[in-house]
Amino acid sequence: MASTSFSFPSRLLHRNPTGSSRNPRKRTATVRTLAALSDPYVLQLAETFEDSLSSAPSADTLSLPILQNLRDSSSASLLSKTWPSSKDEPFRFTDVSFLKKSEIAPVSTVPSRYSPENPQLLGVCDGQSPSLFLIDGRVVETFSDLSGLPSDVFVGSVSAAPESVLRVISDSVANFSQGDLFWDLNGMGALDIAVIHVPAGTRIEKPLYLRLFSSQGVGDGLNTLPVSNPRCIVVVEKGAYIEIIEEYFGGEEGESYWTNSVMEVAIADGGRVRHSYLQMHGKNAAHIKWTLVRQEASSGYELVEVSTGAKLSRHNLHIQQLGPDTQTNLSALHLCGCNQLQDLHSRLVLDHPRGEARQLHKSIVSHSSGRGVFDGNIQVNRYAQQTDAGQMSRNLLLVPRATVDLKPNLQIIADDVQCSHGATMSDLETEPLFYFQARGIDLQTARKALLFSFGAEVTALLHTPLRKRVEDHVKRITHC
Amino acid sequence: MAHTLHVLTSASPVPCSRSPPLKHRPFTVFSSTHLRRSIPPLTRRSLSLNASLAVESPSISGSGEAEPLKPLLEVKDLTAVVAESKEELLHGVNLTIYEGEVHAVMGKNGSGKSTFSKVLVGHPDYEVTGGSVIFKGQNLLDMEPDERSHTGLFMSFQSPVAIPGVSNSDFLLMAYNARQAKLGLPELDPIKFYSYIQPKLAALNMDPLFLNRNVNEGFSGGERKRNEILQLSVLEADLAVLDEIDSGLDVDALQDVAKAVNSLLTPKRSILMITHYRRLLDYITPTYIHIMEDGRIVKTGDVSIAQLLEEGGYKALSSTS
Ligand SMILES: Nc1ncnc2c1ncn2[C@@H]1O[C@H](COP(=O)(O)OP(=O)(O)O)[C@@H](O)[C@H]1O
Ligand SMILES: [Mg+2]
Repeated sequence: MASTSFSFPSRLLHRNPTGSSRNPRKRTATVRTLAALSDPYVLQLAETFEDSLSSAPSADTLSLPILQNLRDSSSASLLSKTWPSSKDEPFRFTDVSFLKKSEIAPVSTVPSRYSPENPQLLGVCDGQSPSLFLIDGRVVETFSDLSGLPSDVFVGSVSAAPESVLRVISDSVANFSQGDLFWDLNGMGALDIAVIHVPAGTRIEKPLYLRLFSSQGVGDGLNTLPVSNPRCIVVVEKGAYIEIIEEYFGGEEGESYWTNSVMEVAIADGGRVRHSYLQMHGKNAAHIKWTLVRQEASSGYELVEVSTGAKLSRHNLHIQQLGPDTQTNLSALHLCGCNQLQDLHSRLVLDHPRGEARQLHKSIVSHSSGRGVFDGNIQVNRYAQQTDAGQMSRNLLLVPRATVDLKPNLQIIADDVQCSHGATMSDLETEPLFYFQARGIDLQTARKALLFSFGAEVTALLHTPLRKRVEDHVKRITHC
Repeated sequence: MAHTLHVLTSASPVPCSRSPPLKHRPFTVFSSTHLRRSIPPLTRRSLSLNASLAVESPSISGSGEAEPLKPLLEVKDLTAVVAESKEELLHGVNLTIYEGEVHAVMGKNGSGKSTFSKVLVGHPDYEVTGGSVIFKGQNLLDMEPDERSHTGLFMSFQSPVAIPGVSNSDFLLMAYNARQAKLGLPELDPIKFYSYIQPKLAALNMDPLFLNRNVNEGFSGGERKRNEILQLSVLEADLAVLDEIDSGLDVDALQDVAKAVNSLLTPKRSILMITHYRRLLDYITPTYIHIMEDGRIVKTGDVSIAQLLEEGGYKALSSTS
């Protein structure tokens, strides 16, 4: 495990790295090329992932063609990549080297120490809405409650998906060429796929909780880093609507683990998705997530992100516009406390007319070792006439040496568009603080109130009662 | 602080030459910021002083037989500088206010009236460099601004700041409960607080919808002033320093505000109003008028001073007279 080998791991040769299985000669040639070019560390990592899969108990799910295809194309793509360093622009400000220094151990077994009644697993779910539970990337039916859903909606593990749904999602799996190494790693390591399929015209009134729990953290001082690779696919057909609350959390506070997640969302003509994404891991977790959204004509996608946990948290958000008249609304609130890095890398590509895009990013850095990163790219291409796009990043730095790295980035090629963007960073202003004090409210309380109101611009977009729970959580962990 | 914004107009693809006139020029905006900033620690205003209570008693009109009036605020030789630049703005202010008195400080723009009132409540822009301020027998200069408020001092700001994201009702309730907690009195929940504040809103002719709006956000000048007085009536301070409460008010609003202020007066409570117009004095009658000039009080007298002002302007009262 510790030795670095330049030779291609033989197990991988048995697989089909290109995804085309007809021509064994060609396959070998590709593999050789890849092996020669590959980063030895990445090869080793691929080998580790391979090993873990062979010991995974859920062989049935793993051998499904859809997961096999995903693994094959992902491993091929993975081997063409190198481990990212600060010299790579997307990782210029986000140091992932501690992952590399750890002994990465893909999680394949299901833990026995949790039962559905465990209070730790309550999270922010309201107990009334339908919920799909994933532990370490695997759908656990017994923890889920899907009783409130219309009968024509499918929510569950890919292994239980009807043929018609499989056909729909097969198109989208492994069909994205711009993912990074972590995207590929997820594809290699995914033990299951959580599938949400809403047929044409169906509106689901209650939100669906997607609860992703990482169970296998390790205590302080151990160099092992268990990694799980949850993968979700959401397909919303023509005119359909769903609200999804995607929530990440982990075991004991202080445990180390890595969640490397991918979510793909496809929204057909006139469909709408309201998506809340809450990252509430413990302080020693690592969290890397991709959200890939494809929006067809007249569809709407609204994302509200609140990330408060993990020492390394990276969200890659990629939105493709496949037709005109789309609406996209993205908001994020990041809390960066002691030793925390919160990173949002977003990319929104507009290729069709009359799109509407709004992005608001907010971060609060409350410790000198905390760090916020925002790289938000909105591209308004030649045919995206009459686009209305706006982007704003606001950052609060509460202590000396607190750091944010901002790269708001609006590229406009179309000529008939309305676009605005901006970025600010500051401490809480003295004049409002003094105003509180002058009315008898102490500085600490005043700071809290102002911090809270800063974050409320994003949390207010969440639905009650979720909003209340998230705001309480934010209040609890915000120190200043 | 390093904040760079590069606007690269040349690096972007340019549409072909036959395209119609552009509404918006094609451009690429790239801005990258890497910032490490430090915030200076809050400067603590502390001062050693001899709390001499020897105060020139002002000649108190009328009968002297009742129990002697107690001084509420005693300012002696107060000097203060701008915290950042150390430029001295107050050059030795002396002023004593007894319980139940109404004082007015008048003076030209820039004479230091707002600075004086902000120094009294402990604004961090200023640093006290000498003199003393005793409020109810306690050294005010040793207290944090919130403690000053709890001892019963209130200042209405000349230009109150807007606080986005914090509703007026939350703000008022926080302020009220902070004071109650400090005094060991019961705090109110939002519903009881609403009953408490309802008559106070009515007294100021304020729409209860004001409570739902964010503090001073989008308020007109007049609305801000009313809102300041609403806060005063909620906190029921013993000394209200009203900095230009009359500016920007039409006659109706001025009457509402003056009525509310007068109704708060008791034999123990005092007002220090700051204005450079005589007009306010017709509504709230002062016991004393002080003229401020260049960071000092240069003259003190009764309402007749205002009459002089009317006739000869501030020149008629200049310090050399
Ligand atoms: N924070 C400050 N920094 C620098 N100069 C100030 C500051 N506050 C007040 N000043 C200056 O002090 C003088 C008095 O101002 P101010 O007290 O506002 O006058 P008034 O209220 O009597 O019109 C003015 O010249 C003003 O520019
Ligand atoms: Mg003034």
